[in-house]
Amino acid sequence: MKTILHAKNVQKIYGSKGNEHTALEEVNLEIKEGEFIGIMGPSGAGKSTLLNILATIDTLTSGEIIVDGQDIVSMNEAQLSTFRRDKLGFIFQDYNLLDTLTVKENILLPLALAKLPSKEIEERVESIADTFGIRAILDSYPYHISGGQKQRTAASRAIVTNPSLILADEPTGALDSKSATSLLESLSKLNEEKGSTIMMVTHDAYAASFCKQILFINDGGIDAEITKMNQSRKEFYQKILDVLASFGGDQ
Amino acid sequence: MTLFTIARKNIRKNFTNYFLYFSSMIFSIVIYFTFVSLKYDQTIDAASETSTKISSAFNAASIVLIIFVAIFIWYSNSFFTRKRKKEVALYSLLGVRKKQIGRMLFYENFLMGIIALVIGILLGSVVSKLFVAILMKLMGYEVLVQFSISTDAIINTVIVFLLIIAVTSFHGYRLIYRFKLIELFQADQESEGEPKTSIITALLSVLLLGFGYWLALQDILYSKVWQMIGILVAPLLIIIAVILGTYLLFSTLTIFFLKRARKNKKRFWNGINIISISQLLYRMKGNAFTLTIIAVLSATTLTAVGTSYGFYYNNKINAELTNPNSMMFVDQDGELTSQVDSLIEQDPDHDVVYHESIPTIPARVDTTALNSRMGPVEAIYTVISNKTYNRLSELQGDTDTIALSDEQAVALDISYFEGLSPEYVGSTLDVNGNEISFTDMKESNVLNAGTSNITIVVSDEMFDKVAEDTDVVTMEAYEITGESKAKTLDESIRSSMPEEADFTSFYQVYTLGMESNGLLIFIGCFLGLVFLSATGSIIYFKQLTEATADRGRYTILQKMGVDKKDIKKSIRKQIFFIFALPLVAGVAHSVVALMAINNILQLNIWIPAFISMTIYILIYVIYYFMTVRNYYKIVTK
Repeated sequence: MKTILHAKNVQKIYGSKGNEHTALEEVNLEIKEGEFIGIMGPSGAGKSTLLNILATIDTLTSGEIIVDGQDIVSMNEAQLSTFRRDKLGFIFQDYNLLDTLTVKENILLPLALAKLPSKEIEERVESIADTFGIRAILDSYPYHISGGQKQRTAASRAIVTNPSLILADEPTGALDSKSATSLLESLSKLNEEKGSTIMMVTHDAYAASFCKQILFINDGGIDAEITKMNQSRKEFYQKILDVLASFGGDQ
Repeated sequence: MTLFTIARKNIRKNFTNYFLYFSSMIFSIVIYFTFVSLKYDQTIDAASETSTKISSAFNAASIVLIIFVAIFIWYSNSFFTRKRKKEVALYSLLGVRKKQIGRMLFYENFLMGIIALVIGILLGSVVSKLFVAILMKLMGYEVLVQFSISTDAIINTVIVFLLIIAVTSFHGYRLIYRFKLIELFQADQESEGEPKTSIITALLSVLLLGFGYWLALQDILYSKVWQMIGILVAPLLIIIAVILGTYLLFSTLTIFFLKRARKNKKRFWNGINIISISQLLYRMKGNAFTLTIIAVLSATTLTAVGTSYGFYYNNKINAELTNPNSMMFVDQDGELTSQVDSLIEQDPDHDVVYHESIPTIPARVDTTALNSRMGPVEAIYTVISNKTYNRLSELQGDTDTIALSDEQAVALDISYFEGLSPEYVGSTLDVNGNEISFTDMKESNVLNAGTSNITIVVSDEMFDKVAEDTDVVTMEAYEITGESKAKTLDESIRSSMPEEADFTSFYQVYTLGMESNGLLIFIGCFLGLVFLSATGSIIYFKQLTEATADRGRYTILQKMGVDKKDIKKSIRKQIFFIFALPLVAGVAHSVVALMAINNILQLNIWIPAFISMTIYILIYVIYYFMTVRNYYKIVTK
C-alpha cells in the first residue's frame, strides 16, 4: 500500500537558547493510504504540536517530512499554501467556519479557491452533504446551527477536495456524545467506503476507539502503538483504556 | 487601591488601545484651537481693512467646526467604548459594583480629556502661527508674524472641550447601566446576519437621488417647480432627498447588487471573490451610516473648497474683466492728466505702458426697447467709435477687431446675464435722436466698467453724427507696469481725484477681491482639510477595528491554504469598495452642487474644482494604501 506520510526524526524545540523546551523529540511516523490513525496522550505531550507541524502551519526544528511524495520542509510560503489547499483537509475542535458564509459556501470554499468549474462544485457539495446528512441546513449560516452540525460542516469542507490526508484536531472536543458519535461514524464510513486517510488527535478514548490504529505520545515521543485488527469497537475501547491506565494518567 | 489609581493604571497599561481615541481628541483640539486663535489674532485684525467681515466669517465657520468636532469625538468615543465592553463586563462579573465601574470609566475619560486638552493647546499654539502666515500670504499681505498666544482663544477652547469631555465622560459612566452583562460580553461577536433588502427601497434610493439632482439643476429663475416649492424650501428638499438617497443607496442598493453577485455562481465561486463579496455583504449594513456621513461631508467639503477656490481663481480674471485698463477717469479740465503723469513719473516702481485719451458720448437710453426684464428703464451708456474700440483692443493685447457701418452697433456688457439683461442683438435703440441697431454683443469691454458702465460701439460715421448734437466727454485710460502692486501710487492718485472723475483702478478691485476671497479660500481649505483628514481617518479606524474582529476569519483561510497574496488581493478589493463608495458619491454630489452654483454665480469654476477634487482623491488614495497595509498586517500577524 502507498505511503501517504513519512516523518523522520521530527524534532521541535520552543523558546530561545538557555530557555529551551523540547516539545517533540525524534518522532518517526509512517501513515499508509486508507489508514485511520488516532494520536493520544496526556495534555502537553506534544499531540497538537505534531499535528500542526504535519499540517504545515507550524515549522519543525529538525527532521524530514514527506507527504504524498513531496518534501514539505523545504517548501516556501506560497508552495505550502497550495499544498495545504490541494493535499490536506482540516477538522478543528472549534470548527473554524466562516460566519460570513452559508454552510454550503463554507463547504465549497476550498473548491472555489481552487477555481473549479461551478457545475462540478455543485455536484461535489451535494454528494458530501448527503454523506454527512446536512442537506437540510445548506443555506443556513453557521450561527444558526448546532455544534454537531457545525462540525459536520467543517468535516465536509475538509474532505470536499478529496485530500490525500485528513487531519482532525480534537474534532469531538466541543460536542455532546450523540453528535460526537454521529460525526465519528461519518468519518469511519468515509475511511471504510472511500478509503480516505485520516489522522485524528484526541484525548478521548471513546473517540479514539473509532480508529484503526492508535499512537500514544508521551514526553515528546511515541510511547506505544496499538492496532484494532479484528477486535470489536468495544474491545478496542477497553484496550485503549488499559494503555492509558499504564501511563498513570487519568484520561 | 483607589478607583482613581485603577483608572490611571488602565490608561498606562493599555496605551495602544487608548492611542487612537487619544490622538483623535488631540487632533480635534489642535484644529479647533488653531481656528479660534486665528479669530482672535491681532496681526490679521490689524492688517485687514475688512475686519468685521473676517470675524463674522470666522464665527460662522467656528460653529460648523464645533458641531463637527463634537460628532467626531463622539464617534471615536463610541469606537473606543465598544472595544472595552468586555473588560467592563469582566469587572462587573468579578464583583466590582456598578457605581464604581461607572466612576472609573468617568475618571478615565475625564483624565484623558484633560491631558489631550493640554497637549492640544500646546500643539495648537505652534500650528496656529503657521496658519496665520499662510492666511496673510493668501490675502496678499506681507506681515511678520509675532509669537503670541491669545488667552481668549485658550479660554474659548477650554470651555468648548470641557463641555464635550464632560458629556462623553458621563456617557462612559452610563455604559455599565445601559447594557445587560450578557450584551457587554457579546459586544465583539455581533452576528449581524444577512442584511435584508427590498427592490422597492433600492429603487427608492435611485429615485430620491435623481429627484435631488434634477431639482438642483433646474434653472432657478424659470423653474416652475422651484416657484411651486418656494425658493427657500427647495434647497432644503434637495439636501434631504440627496442624503436620504445616499443612505438608502449604501444600505440597500449596494447590498442588492452584492447579493446578485453572490447568486452568480460562476463569478462568486471563483477564487478569492467568494471571500471579498461575502465579507463586504456582512459588513455593509453596519457601514452604511458611516459611509453616508462621509459622502455628505465629502460633498460639502468639495463644494465649499471648489467654490471658494473658484472665487479666488476668478479674482484676477474678474479684475481684468472689469478693469481692462490699470486706471481710468474723466478729466474735465485737463489738469488731472498732468497730475497723474507726474505722480507716475515720480514713482520708481511703475511706468506708463500706454495712455489714451478716449472721446466718448454719454447716451441716455430707454432700455425698454431692449426687452429688458429688469430695471432701470433709463440708463446712461457710453458710446465709442469703431476705431477707438479697435485701437484699445489692440493696446490691451486682443486680436479681436470689429468693422461696423451705418447704423450697426455692438454692445459691450460685462455683467450680461441671460434672461435678466437686455436682449441686444436684433434690437434697435434711439441714441440722442439717431437710430442704431445691434448686430452683436460681447461680454467684455475695452473701458473700465466703473467709469463707463455699459458701452456701445458704433460705426465711425454714426459716432461723428451723434457727436454733432452732444458734448464729447474725454476719458483717460492708463496702463502701468506692476498694476497689482500699485498700493501707494493708487492711494496718492485716488486722493487727488474729485468725485465726478469716476476714477477706477485695477488695483482696487484686485485687492478687495484678494482680501475677501483669500479669506474665503482659507476658511474653505481649512475646513476642507479638517473634514478630509477626519473622514479619511474615520474609515481608517473603522476598517482597522473590523480587521481586529476579522482576524479569526483570515487565520482560518490561511490554515485552509489560501496564500498571502490572495488574502492581500481580497483585502484590497474590499477596502477599495469601502473607500470608493463615499468618494464617488461625494464627487458626484459636489459636481451637481457646483453646477447649480455655477448657474447662479457664472464663475469659471471647473478648473479650481477639478484641482480640489484631484487633491481630495489623492489624499484618499494615500489613506487607502495605508489602510490596506495595516489591515493586512493585523489579519496576518
